[in-house]
Amino acid sequence: MRYQNRKKREVTQLALDKVENAIELRGITKTFGSVVANDHIDLDVRRGEILALLGENGSGKTTLMNMISGIYHPDEGSIHVNGREVVINSPMDAKKLGIGMIHQHFKLVDVFSAMDNVVIGAEGKRIKPRELKEKILELTKKFGLEVDPEKKIYNMSVSEKQTVEILKVLYRNADILILDEPTAVLTPQETQKLFAILRRMKEQGSAIIIITHKLNEVMEISDRVTILRKGKSIDTVNTAETNEKQLTELMVGRPVTLEIDRPKCENVHTRLKVVDLSVKKADGTMALKDLSFEIKAGEILGVAGIAGSGQKELCEAIAGLVPVETGAVLHNKENIIGKTPKQINNLGISLGFVPEDRLGMGLVASMGMVDNMLLKSYDKAKGIFVDRKPAKKLAEELVERLEIMTPNVETPVRLLSGGNVQKVLLGREIESEPSVLITAYPVRGLDINSSYTIYDLLNEQKKKGVAVMFIGEDLDVLLEISDRIMVLCHGEVTGIVDAAVTTKEELGLMMTGSKREGVKADG
Amino acid sequence: MDETRKKEPLIRVEKRKERPAKQVRLLRLASVLLAIVAGGLFILCIGYNPFSVYATIVSGAFRSSMAFQATIKLMVPLLIPALGLTLAFKMRFWNIGAEGQIIMGAVFATFFALFCWDFPHWLLMICMFLAGMLGGALWGIIPAFFKAKFGTNETLFTLMLNYIALYLISFLRDGPWQDPNSSGFPKIARFGENAQLDKLFGVHVGWLIGLVLVVIVYIYLKYTKQGYEISVVGESRATAQYAGMNYKKIVLRTMAFSGAICGIAGMVQASGSDLTLTTSVAGGVGFTAIIVAWLAQLNPVGILVVSLLFSVLEKGSTVMQSSYGLSAYSADVLQGIILFFVLGCEFFVRYRFVTRKKGGKA
Amino acid sequence: MKKKILGIVLSLTMVGAMLAGCGQQQGAEDKKEETKTEDTSKEDTNADDAEKADDTDKKEDAADDSKTEASGKFAPVAKEDLKVGVIHISDPAEGSGYTYTHDQGIVEMQKELGLEDSQIIRKNNIPDTDPTMTEQAIRECIEDGCQIIFATSFNYMDTCEQLAQEFPDVIFSHGTGYKSNDTNFNNYFGRIYQARYLSGIVAGMKTESNKIGYVAAMGSENSEVTGGIDAFAIGVAEVNPDAEIHVKVTNSWFSPTEETNAAKALIAEGCDVIGQHCDTPNPQTEAESAGVWGVGYNSDMSKDAPDATLTSVIWNWGVYYTQAVQKVIDGTWTPEIYFGGMDDGLVDITPINEELCAPGTKEKVEEARRKIMEEGFNVFDGVLETNDGKAVGTEGGTLDDATITGGINWYYKNVIVD
Repeated sequence: MRYQNRKKREVTQLALDKVENAIELRGITKTFGSVVANDHIDLDVRRGEILALLGENGSGKTTLMNMISGIYHPDEGSIHVNGREVVINSPMDAKKLGIGMIHQHFKLVDVFSAMDNVVIGAEGKRIKPRELKEKILELTKKFGLEVDPEKKIYNMSVSEKQTVEILKVLYRNADILILDEPTAVLTPQETQKLFAILRRMKEQGSAIIIITHKLNEVMEISDRVTILRKGKSIDTVNTAETNEKQLTELMVGRPVTLEIDRPKCENVHTRLKVVDLSVKKADGTMALKDLSFEIKAGEILGVAGIAGSGQKELCEAIAGLVPVETGAVLHNKENIIGKTPKQINNLGISLGFVPEDRLGMGLVASMGMVDNMLLKSYDKAKGIFVDRKPAKKLAEELVERLEIMTPNVETPVRLLSGGNVQKVLLGREIESEPSVLITAYPVRGLDINSSYTIYDLLNEQKKKGVAVMFIGEDLDVLLEISDRIMVLCHGEVTGIVDAAVTTKEELGLMMTGSKREGVKADG
Repeated sequence: MDETRKKEPLIRVEKRKERPAKQVRLLRLASVLLAIVAGGLFILCIGYNPFSVYATIVSGAFRSSMAFQATIKLMVPLLIPALGLTLAFKMRFWNIGAEGQIIMGAVFATFFALFCWDFPHWLLMICMFLAGMLGGALWGIIPAFFKAKFGTNETLFTLMLNYIALYLISFLRDGPWQDPNSSGFPKIARFGENAQLDKLFGVHVGWLIGLVLVVIVYIYLKYTKQGYEISVVGESRATAQYAGMNYKKIVLRTMAFSGAICGIAGMVQASGSDLTLTTSVAGGVGFTAIIVAWLAQLNPVGILVVSLLFSVLEKGSTVMQSSYGLSAYSADVLQGIILFFVLGCEFFVRYRFVTRKKGGKA
Repeated sequence: MKKKILGIVLSLTMVGAMLAGCGQQQGAEDKKEETKTEDTSKEDTNADDAEKADDTDKKEDAADDSKTEASGKFAPVAKEDLKVGVIHISDPAEGSGYTYTHDQGIVEMQKELGLEDSQIIRKNNIPDTDPTMTEQAIRECIEDGCQIIFATSFNYMDTCEQLAQEFPDVIFSHGTGYKSNDTNFNNYFGRIYQARYLSGIVAGMKTESNKIGYVAAMGSENSEVTGGIDAFAIGVAEVNPDAEIHVKVTNSWFSPTEETNAAKALIAEGCDVIGQHCDTPNPQTEAESAGVWGVGYNSDMSKDAPDATLTSVIWNWGVYYTQAVQKVIDGTWTPEIYFGGMDDGLVDITPINEELCAPGTKEKVEEARRKIMEEGFNVFDGVLETNDGKAVGTEGGTLDDATITGGINWYYKNVIVD
């Protein structure tokens, strides 16, 4: 007890000495059941700096930040804001301390304007709309934000929404800003705009923490980097004194190569031809407009586009899961549009599909590997009973071949890590010996090792002569692994380009709608 | 201390990661024991000896072959509907309508008992059995159809159908099916011998039907393609469609089976136990069966065990009530206490309390 | 799957076709047979009414004297080995209605015969609409070793009948019904109409508005209730030919709200005396709060509404219970139908509240009582005029017991039902 008191005094003393630290975390520990999400983490953020919090999925970044913003409460350890020890019990407490967090999923009211969204939840008296607008415009000028205060949220792009979130935080005079994977949903151009804003805030003396796992962005924007691995704080380095390779090694824990293979294939020919495909969303708006393209056997067709540009509908239309308005999908001249997955299968066409929602669509979360192997083939057995023997054999083979970490093949797949879940799903789809393999965001949320396993598996399929479609969000990855890249914007194709000769910036422009007619890459 | 410095709340509730299955089982066992202790305290509070009261409950259910037969007779209407509900619940179809499905099964079967009583016994039994299934299935398909077609809320829909079924009996009892010999007293005639379910070991064969259904439902859910489809649909509609399953067909079929099994319970209860059709033919077992099914974690064998325990409690309580002169309500309170603990333990499976740590922080 | 459904549909159609041949309700045939037997009995009565009346008297006498006859089919039971089962439709703790009254009778019997508490097995709150619960309750009594079981509510009847067959060594005594067998199952009820007639005199004397209300549980199809109303009305007409009886039917034996509402409506119509044939004392308390008067039923309701209850029509079930259990002890029990009257002390009215009643009421009541007890007056004597202008009964005759218990579906001339 006495020791602790002394230590507390010391800390206070320390804080007074180094008042430039906006936030200090000391020995923060948080466990969920038996899982230690954060293990005695120390972290400092200075005023006027951008700190990148780097780590793979599951390394505890978001948990740590949630404790600063009052969503969780630490089991152990202390939080100091501006040199004073504080207890943050709710997001309200965090707000009062000048801490603002921008989550991956925006928390905005769709039918309200930007202005209204900024004032709801803010303290203080109601002010007149005109004054409010002036105040907001002043803020936007100060930080270089581009936002129309009167515009309704539902009319906004993702980037604009994010700007409103930032505005919300600034309006509340927050000088400590936490951003959770802010660039995941942005085009390269939008990312640049965001970084400009962050730099302006930094100049005004704010402390900024940015959570990310994209190394190039870390190098570009941050002053210092704190690396987390498996819930532990591994190191904090000055960005200027490090490089991507070193950061990766710190993050993964051992040396890794960062190159993705792009093998060249013989006998590349059209496998699947999509002609004038139009699909409506459930709410009646168009999700896909007159899409036409080909997927070739022995190639990987990358699909780029900001989230919600029609990727999901495209996959599901090809797989026969959603009704289409017009158009055709020809598989070796056989039109499979309007057919159910079962009918397509009965035609002898094996269509592999790794959906975006792995546990909600591709797999049954509460079932073990064996039962998940059965998902598409349970009906093939004769009689009324399910035959689990071949499925069990298959599951065991997959465990061995893909090094799937699971207690046994009956363990519910929801208990497996993200990478293992994806291996189960992709493994099953590959085992059905598909002629076309559609994969939506196959490495999302996976650690670097697992990601590379997935890339290898996809390349293996490509070499076997499978037509692979790869819907991705990380443009660097798309550019490296794809043979050709199709860019979608608002449900339309804005270009199909040769990945080897295209730049990220070009893709970015197409993603926001500028068409590239000239460049045709037919492989 | 700073003004801004606040205290951490004394107790917080946190969601926990999944407990291992073994721990969950232990927790559930502990909750049952705790329930018995708490029930004992209640008995003590109203001035009786908990040990002898519990002993009375157990002996009341088992003291003689007649007592045991009565216990089994109480078990049957819990067991069969719980099995039926299991099919629906596995599919995450919130069938709150077992009560109505039981009633409709009983109504359909009663039609044959009243108007075709001169059939050969076996033919009559088969007709009543099939009619019971049809009645229950009909009452199960209606909400399933509207759910599959229009996305209506099945909880409310099935609940409301219960009342329609109940009032249908009242209508039949007061009108077309009224016993002509009852001198105006609103009741339906007692079934003739020919329309009564046969007995085996002193209890109507409903118990045998129940046991057979346990096996059938167990195999159906675990080993058949249709059982597999139910599990997938229950987990996620999107997954079912992804796997090429026909969602609507599966929902309709499963609810037909679910209702049909409940309908069997109605037929069995009317022709085996009540020997007539009354408004209390279901008497709330359709709701109790929901609890039974969930307590057994939708496991048919577990349902057999839980429904037996429930019927022991129920049968034992009536003996306890008369031999101690307790109000029937005190037996209800006791049952409520036990349920409270057992269901309450599910909270601790998923959450935990975190208390504020003593002393300062480092 | 499809085949299965098809199979079910086919078999049902088949069965449906057969229905044409068997479309008559089973009960209907039974009914036919029963009416036949009733008919013959009616013929008998018509042929010799007076003798019939004599017969009933004799039977009652015989019942009283049966101790000496020792003609029972059951061996005598030592008093300390005796166990008595009682099936109640609600909880005696309700304190004034039907179940309470029956239970008071059981208590009286217990005291009279000196039985221990443990010798009485009570099953409370057994709904008579639930045959399964009824059966279980009775079976538990049998398990506990009861030699005689009293089932107090009407709809226990069928279950009693069935179990009487299954357990020939146990005596089943069922109240208010009409079934029995010739070994171990009888039926008991009483001439409550006699007491109602007396209470009609009390009400008729009291009313000032000449409008008397009556809350009835059941409509004209129920002979027990309707006969009770008529007896009451005959009593009223005896002393006050100008008074009318306004009847409201609740269609339920036990419905606190409906009974309250019916009483309220009657008071609003101008009735100043409220009679009742239903289970709760609510009509009396309603009368009290409206400042009018009433006639209670089942038990003495002056404890519920002391400032309104002129008198109450009551059952002393203890009279029957004591007698029946005594016979079991003696080994003289026989399955005869018990239909006790005022002379047994089974039914009566409570002493009238002279402060509330009109002067001279007591004398009138005593006179009527004497008529019943000593002159063989049976209330439904002679030709009775119904409220729809018909005539019932014969000059010099009286209605037979079968008609009184099951055949009064008409209202006396001064009754208005709305």
